[in-house]
Amino acid sequence: MTAFPAALLPLPVALPLVVCAALLATAHLLPGRLPDILATLAALGVAILCGTIALHAADGPLVYWFGGWEPRDGVHLGIGFSVDEASGWVAAFIGLLYALTFVFAWGFFDRTHGHFQILMLLFLAAMIGFCFTRDMFNLFVWFEVMSVAAFALTAYHLAESALAGAINFTVVNSLAGFLMLGGIGLIYAQTGTLDFEGIAAAVARGGRDPVVAGAFCLVAAALMIKGAIVPFQFWLADAHAVAPSPVSVIFSGSMVSLGLFGLAKVSAVVFGASGQVQHALPVLLIGLGGVTALLGGWMALLQRHLKRMLAFSTISHAGIMLTGIGALSAGGTGGMLVYVVGHGLVKGALFMIAGILLATQASIDEIALRGLGRGIWPAGIAMGLAGLLLCGLPLGVLDQGTRLVQGALAQQGHGIALAAGTIGAALTGAAVLRAAGRIFLGLGPDPGDEAGAPSEDEREKANRPLWLMLGPCCVLLALDIGLPADLIGHALPRAASAFLHRPAVEALAEGPAWLPWASLIAALAGAGYGLFRKTLPALVVRPVSVTQSAPTRALEVLHSGLIGDYAAWLAVGVALIAAVLAMV
Amino acid sequence: MSPRIRVALLALAGLILLPCAATVIAGLPPFGATIAQYGERINAITPEARHVANMVSAINFDLRGLDTLGEEFMLLAAITGTVVLLRGRRGEGNTEHAMRRPGRAVIPRSEAVVLACRIAGPLTALFGLYVVVHATVTPGGGFQGGVILASATLLIYLGEGYAGWRDAIHSHWLDAMEGGGALLFALCGLAPMLTGAAFMQNVLPLGTFRDLFSGGLMLVENLGVALAVTGGFTQLFLEFMEETRAADEPDEPGEESA
Amino acid sequence: MTMLPYAVAAWLFGIGLYGIATSRNFIHLVGCLGICQSATYVLLLGLGYRWGSIAPIFYDHPPGTPAVDPVMQALVLTDIVVGATLTALLLVLTIQAYKRGGSLDPEKLRPMRAGGGSRRNQASSRADDGAGKTS
Repeated sequence: MTAFPAALLPLPVALPLVVCAALLATAHLLPGRLPDILATLAALGVAILCGTIALHAADGPLVYWFGGWEPRDGVHLGIGFSVDEASGWVAAFIGLLYALTFVFAWGFFDRTHGHFQILMLLFLAAMIGFCFTRDMFNLFVWFEVMSVAAFALTAYHLAESALAGAINFTVVNSLAGFLMLGGIGLIYAQTGTLDFEGIAAAVARGGRDPVVAGAFCLVAAALMIKGAIVPFQFWLADAHAVAPSPVSVIFSGSMVSLGLFGLAKVSAVVFGASGQVQHALPVLLIGLGGVTALLGGWMALLQRHLKRMLAFSTISHAGIMLTGIGALSAGGTGGMLVYVVGHGLVKGALFMIAGILLATQASIDEIALRGLGRGIWPAGIAMGLAGLLLCGLPLGVLDQGTRLVQGALAQQGHGIALAAGTIGAALTGAAVLRAAGRIFLGLGPDPGDEAGAPSEDEREKANRPLWLMLGPCCVLLALDIGLPADLIGHALPRAASAFLHRPAVEALAEGPAWLPWASLIAALAGAGYGLFRKTLPALVVRPVSVTQSAPTRALEVLHSGLIGDYAAWLAVGVALIAAVLAMV
Repeated sequence: MSPRIRVALLALAGLILLPCAATVIAGLPPFGATIAQYGERINAITPEARHVANMVSAINFDLRGLDTLGEEFMLLAAITGTVVLLRGRRGEGNTEHAMRRPGRAVIPRSEAVVLACRIAGPLTALFGLYVVVHATVTPGGGFQGGVILASATLLIYLGEGYAGWRDAIHSHWLDAMEGGGALLFALCGLAPMLTGAAFMQNVLPLGTFRDLFSGGLMLVENLGVALAVTGGFTQLFLEFMEETRAADEPDEPGEESA
Repeated sequence: MTMLPYAVAAWLFGIGLYGIATSRNFIHLVGCLGICQSATYVLLLGLGYRWGSIAPIFYDHPPGTPAVDPVMQALVLTDIVVGATLTALLLVLTIQAYKRGGSLDPEKLRPMRAGGGSRRNQASSRADDGAGKTS
């Protein structure tokens, strides 16, 4: 028999599952708006439940054994959920993001008999299960449920690009699933259990073991594929750019960062006692994270398709999160967890703005939209603010996370990763600010003939009121700015230590105060350069054009959109992780 | 990237991974020498603790029932996704009646085929039911039995023709079966919590070892899975079959489905 | 002999990945993905096997008879369902892609590119164009 707070643990997963099964069973009987209402309420309920759980988990992780199969004589027989404070709050954030997305998507999917809501609720349940579980195979099951729901949602528009994006996404992420299952098989054969704690204890007893390293290599590769880390990042831009906007909000706001959340948890909790893995992690994560941050930022700057730009920006921010994990300290991981929430809030808001543009202006092309946003200026203010927050405006949750990650990196002398993260954030901020300036202020040169976007005609359901779409977007931004920093700063040292299963630390270091400002100024300069290039003296423009053209072309060729290339890069990535593990 | 560079890249990765894989394989316990403590333990205690003979079912529906719940809903997600993606193109309207492909001849079936299907159909369905209800005793279970039951409906297609099949199968019923089965499974998890037990704790009487009625709650869960899988796979067949009838030239672009 | 199943699993995954990388037909690609997945079946069942054991069903044999690892078998059952769902979804996507693009060749179906849409003539000049003008 389980006491009160722990008995809540299965409910946030069970609630959306029950609602979605009921919706499906009665799909054709329900009146039009009921699926929307039920789904929103279910997501809100999940958020409240997770928040309650997180509050109760402050004193120590809550543990729940399904089917009443508690461990006997040290053998873990059933599946357990174990929720620490940080996991609880991340889950609550995800629930809230879904609730707001359902409001944003109100009436978007009229003609599907609630099928959209069913898939989204499944997606939600899988994410919560992924956050809570303490069993390797259960982690895999939720990983796959997440993937399957996501694959179907991506292709919803059925345009050629949407299908190609969905196929690339499906194949790459299925391979991720197989890699993960292989890793789970290896670790199970070696340790004889699937429970996180059980595996950790067995790994600690075992000493240096190539099988444990191999298992970590496969599981880490799978989670990095989900987290869109170079060289696994290719699928993300293809999929996020074509998915319906409400789905992109979820993808960028929570799915990608959840992959990295899983990586942080697995590497700290399950493989925490393996010296080989712990020695390889800083090199691997900080190196890959830095490269990812730069590449994502650079690619974002090259895009004129807004959603694709935001997708690359997500890649860049995923890289920054990875460097946070790579610091292997309570500060780095704690900062990364705050960053996940802050980034989800801001990026979710940005994808909602892209959706608003698609619905009201029937285009998503930055050049074609020049000046067309004036009629919906409130969205412009939101986009400008989100752009500033993205590149480091020292305000709100995202900034707090950035500072903590920077503090942890600075403390350990990872100067290059620090610089890469700052530049990456500045580049993505520059891209967003440039687009905001062009669309909502009409800045930049008159495009003339070029305005005809080379992309397919895109339009999303238009007959929704602007306030209904803008409301959730503003709530997200308000949450990012308004969440009290003191509260987070106070709880985080304890929560991060509990997340990492380490003794509590007193306080977490923050990065130098001038860094966010430097990033902000660089972003404004970048945006200004993009908009006013024609009016700048040739002395400034020429060297920049010359230095950027060759690497730019190379990057464009790499992002070929061909699934064969992606499979080859996937193999290279796995080999890279294996090589680093073998060398330490 | 040209195919040649791609293969070179793969070969390079393979070259690095080969020694790594060899080391890992050498570190694994030799094939067939021993099994993990977890499995050993389950084999030892479950027959007595749950009165079931089939350990795999015991794991799927009791010890690790949450995995199966996730798996069940994964299937539901895939089938819902299939329906959304295939119907998005055809439109929702004409799901109730068989579509005709213009210009395709309807070939009459030979009586032998009709007879064979009429005999084999009910037998297959019966066998499916047998596999479903004997999950705790013999190899079988809701998934396997559900798929057999769903394929039995395909024999209606073979015997009675497409129009006959569509008259017998209604998409709404399939949705209800699929959703209802999944709901039943999820409620099997929640219901024990009302009595103060854990999620999916086996609170029903366990029955007799090696008997049809053994395993308590597992039987009910199994029924839910069978219902959902039957409904789901039949829905899958239906949507794919309908696709073969769809007009070649779409009259509505995908955007409009939004 | 003691390592053979694991080597087979590694080989299956590798050859499947090679197939995906070089595939020129989506249906072939779905098959290759299935081969990659078979690698996990072989690995898991191989890891759970023990010589001289029965299947973990104590109907004809009394409980206590040495049996193979039932956990691995349960995991493979879940894995099979994963395989079925993936195949179904990928085939749906393939059907729709074929109807849209008239081709099953992955090299011909392109997602959205930097300079613009999913045109089949993937001209590098256009990508270049867009990049030069927007940055």
